Amino acid sequence: MKACQIVSRKFHIDQSYRLETAKEHGAYNTLKEAFALSPVEIIKTIKESGLRGKGGGGAPAGAKWMLMPQDDERSSYLAVNCDESEPGTFKDREIISKDPHLLIEGIIITCYAIKSHDAYIYIRGEYYQFQKILQEAIDEAYTAGILGERVRGEAYRMDITIHRGAGAYICGEKSALLESMEGKRGHPRLKPKQKEPEWYFGNPTLVNNVETIASIPYIIKHGAEGYREFGTERSPGTLLFAMSGHVETPGIYEAEFGTPMFDYINYYGGGIRNGKKLKAVIPGGASTAVLTADEVACATLDYEHMRVVGSALGTGGMIVMDEDTDMVEALKNLLEFYHHESCGQCTPCREGTGWSDTILQRVLDGRGSSEDIDKLLELASIMDGKTICVFAPAVAIVIRSFIGKFRDEFEAKVTA
Amino acid sequence: MSQIDIVIDNMTFTAEKGSLLIDLLIKHDLKVPYFCYHEALGADGNCRMCMVEIEGQKRPQIACDTLIKEEMVVRTKGENIDGVRRDILELELINHPIDCPVCDQAGECKLQDFYMDYGLYESNIKQSDKVHHRKHIDLGSSVILDQERCVLCARCTRFTSDITKTHELGIIGRGDHACVSTMPGKKLDNPYAMNIVDLCPVGALTSKDFRFQQRVWFLTSSPSICHGCAKGCNIFIDHNREKYKDETIYRFRPRENQQVNGFFICDEGRLSYKKLQDNRQLDMILNGKSCEEAEALEAYRNLLEAGSGKIVILADANLYTEELEMIQIYAQKLGATLSSPMVSDLDDAFADEWLKSSQRASNAKAIEKLGIMTDLPDEKIALLINFNHPNTVSIDAERVISFRTNQQKEPADLILPLAVFSESSGTLTNEDGIEQYCPKVITRNDPAPTVIEWMIRCQEEVE
Amino acid sequence: MSFEFTKENLEKIEALKSRYPSPKALSLPCLWMAQYQERYISLEAIETIGDLIDLPPMEIYRVATFYTMFNLEPVGKYHIQLCKTLSCALCGKAEMLNHLKNRLGLSPGESSSDGAFTLTQVECLGSCGTAPVMQINDQYYENLTPEKIDIILDSLEEGS
Repeated sequence: MKACQIVSRKFHIDQSYRLETAKEHGAYNTLKEAFALSPVEIIKTIKESGLRGKGGGGAPAGAKWMLMPQDDERSSYLAVNCDESEPGTFKDREIISKDPHLLIEGIIITCYAIKSHDAYIYIRGEYYQFQKILQEAIDEAYTAGILGERVRGEAYRMDITIHRGAGAYICGEKSALLESMEGKRGHPRLKPKQKEPEWYFGNPTLVNNVETIASIPYIIKHGAEGYREFGTERSPGTLLFAMSGHVETPGIYEAEFGTPMFDYINYYGGGIRNGKKLKAVIPGGASTAVLTADEVACATLDYEHMRVVGSALGTGGMIVMDEDTDMVEALKNLLEFYHHESCGQCTPCREGTGWSDTILQRVLDGRGSSEDIDKLLELASIMDGKTICVFAPAVAIVIRSFIGKFRDEFEAKVTA
Repeated sequence: MSQIDIVIDNMTFTAEKGSLLIDLLIKHDLKVPYFCYHEALGADGNCRMCMVEIEGQKRPQIACDTLIKEEMVVRTKGENIDGVRRDILELELINHPIDCPVCDQAGECKLQDFYMDYGLYESNIKQSDKVHHRKHIDLGSSVILDQERCVLCARCTRFTSDITKTHELGIIGRGDHACVSTMPGKKLDNPYAMNIVDLCPVGALTSKDFRFQQRVWFLTSSPSICHGCAKGCNIFIDHNREKYKDETIYRFRPRENQQVNGFFICDEGRLSYKKLQDNRQLDMILNGKSCEEAEALEAYRNLLEAGSGKIVILADANLYTEELEMIQIYAQKLGATLSSPMVSDLDDAFADEWLKSSQRASNAKAIEKLGIMTDLPDEKIALLINFNHPNTVSIDAERVISFRTNQQKEPADLILPLAVFSESSGTLTNEDGIEQYCPKVITRNDPAPTVIEWMIRCQEEVE
Repeated sequence: MSFEFTKENLEKIEALKSRYPSPKALSLPCLWMAQYQERYISLEAIETIGDLIDLPPMEIYRVATFYTMFNLEPVGKYHIQLCKTLSCALCGKAEMLNHLKNRLGLSPGESSSDGAFTLTQVECLGSCGTAPVMQINDQYYENLTPEKIDIILDSLEEGS
């Protein structure tokens, strides 16, 4: 396993969240180099690095940055997405609690590149204890003159404000996040008709995941080529992959893209708990198609290969399930999650998530029939591709993959 | 913006580039189902019903969020798109109580209409599995909410937040527990509130005034003009004659006219239909006693000839222009002074910046155009002939003839019943000078004569 | 009944206003402050916030009902929120729930009569690697076992 520490370098250092400690280990060293470059040069570097958004979608970060206007009367904003609500995902909290200064450093460089002076970190409401660590780090940075009117003596004002969510999974969707930051309900917006930045109170805005922004200092320091030393041609770099469920040592382990999934699980996760056999893995947060043990054996952790096996890399948060797992119960668990979290704005999602949950409950109560299983698949196709955002299509993927790959378990429940 | 041609269902249409596809579909009456879109409220994109196929797009698109562009080829029908609509409709109905037999919206419900167009499937959904919400909530302003029938299109909440800006309503909660509500303890309270009943495409919002009065399929809708103030809002009068009964008006509804009232009317105007039926003056009254028409006409002539002295004619500024003209000619003939006192008509408490004018007389502009004086002669009056003027000014006259649509306390020697505006026809000029024709809508079993009919009858006797 | 923010909170709100393009952005921060101040969000608090940030109360009420962490009714001094989503479910959440129910005599959604505890099940807390997990007020308790739950609850009961 190739060791890589693009964002996790300081995770194991005691009190690395403190400015003094972080600085001893090189925090904020890249600011000088970054300010020596022009904003356009930084964006070019990010584009060449092939950095992909690490919040789940995997869209090229550079292309997103290029949508931000370099000459505009309006203020530009950066919103850092730390909503981290995708089940199986818990990586951003590692960054904000173990190396918040790396994030701050990344924010400063990003803002300089997109000519923004105001960044917000949208953090899920439950993460309050981690938010406090991050806020202390920000306060320390203000005191040290890293943030504020002049960033390290440069003629550049930089303010970072933490914006706390309050329990809504959908706010991880970037337009819902901005709605929430505008003080509204987290309803995703209708998609724009052409490529354009996001908008915050009508101002051009960039939304990036915490880990994406935390990767920026490394790229500035080591250049695009340095970043490309890790990963594959089309999925360069690394990801803070996460593992939970039935493994011996669950947790967060940074690995390069292209790492075989099975090796990752065995090497970092210590294999399946209690010597059991592997049954399935949800590879990239709950909203990606579940993989069978056979598929896991040939899956590698990068965007392209995960597509080949019919799933997606997503957030890289793997939920590992052993041979004893009841896949019907597992799907029910996820459908309850989606039912609870649907924002309710548009019909197919609002009604479809609840209805599929109700049907599966019927199956589990022993009141179901084979038609109910087909009805779930039908609901999946109704929910797919007809909604404002990708929430309902994700539910469709989950339903299809569970029933498609484990139909016998579902049938057993309705014939028993 | 330039005009371009696009193809819809193999037909070519010209439209403004960048305009909304759904507007074009509605304009040309191309069938597309929708709940949330409304021309007055704009697109919200939440119901997902107005799906169409657009060549080159791999998924169906909602027409309310599609901008018209060059070389666009659209399909609004076909097996595929009908299937998509059927699917979404099925979801809309999952938690709906399907209580059409007791629902007042039945007959003008979009859920019913679309089910007949695209649904027609067998449902195996059990009532016990449905999400339940609150029913028959009195929101205030004569509006009743049934949350279970709601499709969460947000038309009502957008009306109170974007149009009236009174913000009483909102969608609260999340997912399939989301529902329309007021703040706890607060009421819907604005002078336009009942428009949300019309806006609601389903039976979630119904009018306390109208509900359970009449099935809508028995109603005839006839165009008319509201007489509540000088704005001249366009309305439909919904009426019906039940067997053995008299023709009855059940409600006023707004009728779109972008020059005058847009899509809406005020609640006071909406409920003013009652004045056309309640407390009507039906009998001819001579010296406090009912009489026959021949007797009344003789009395009329006698009162007219009873002595010399000043004759004053009052005319209500709600009468049609044609009626006013005829009264004007009549006044000249009698050598009478014609007046329509205005002062008491100005109502600042009623007025607002939108559809409610402080000039409560609907044809005040015609009074002005005809040069009819609006103050009273202060000389001694021998005979007063009042054509329904709401005379609150105490006028001292020796003899009084009063044509009335509704019963009043003011004494008169002779009281003659008069048709209300829905039982007559004519022209109104609104405060902005827009002339609007108002046809006769109601024919009662025993109709009261109109001003013009009275004029003819009275003058026949005089000559 | 009326609600007023503490002087400290009012100062915080004023300071935050300069950080945002519009005061409307402050609805979530203000709702949080109100909840910390009163342990729940009253309708009076919603009215007060509306005045402060120039939003109709209904708009704030809609927001308050959307986010599950906002309590529109008082909850116990210790709000125990047990994560129920997949990783926790795979790692023994059911056993933890049973233990909590027995120990507290409460079902999810209930509060103890003395107002000390409210038990809720919540969706993914983002702590899947240390499942099963619960959150009591703002604090996470990870890698739960029945024994660990007892120790935590003992210390809370002693404290209260």
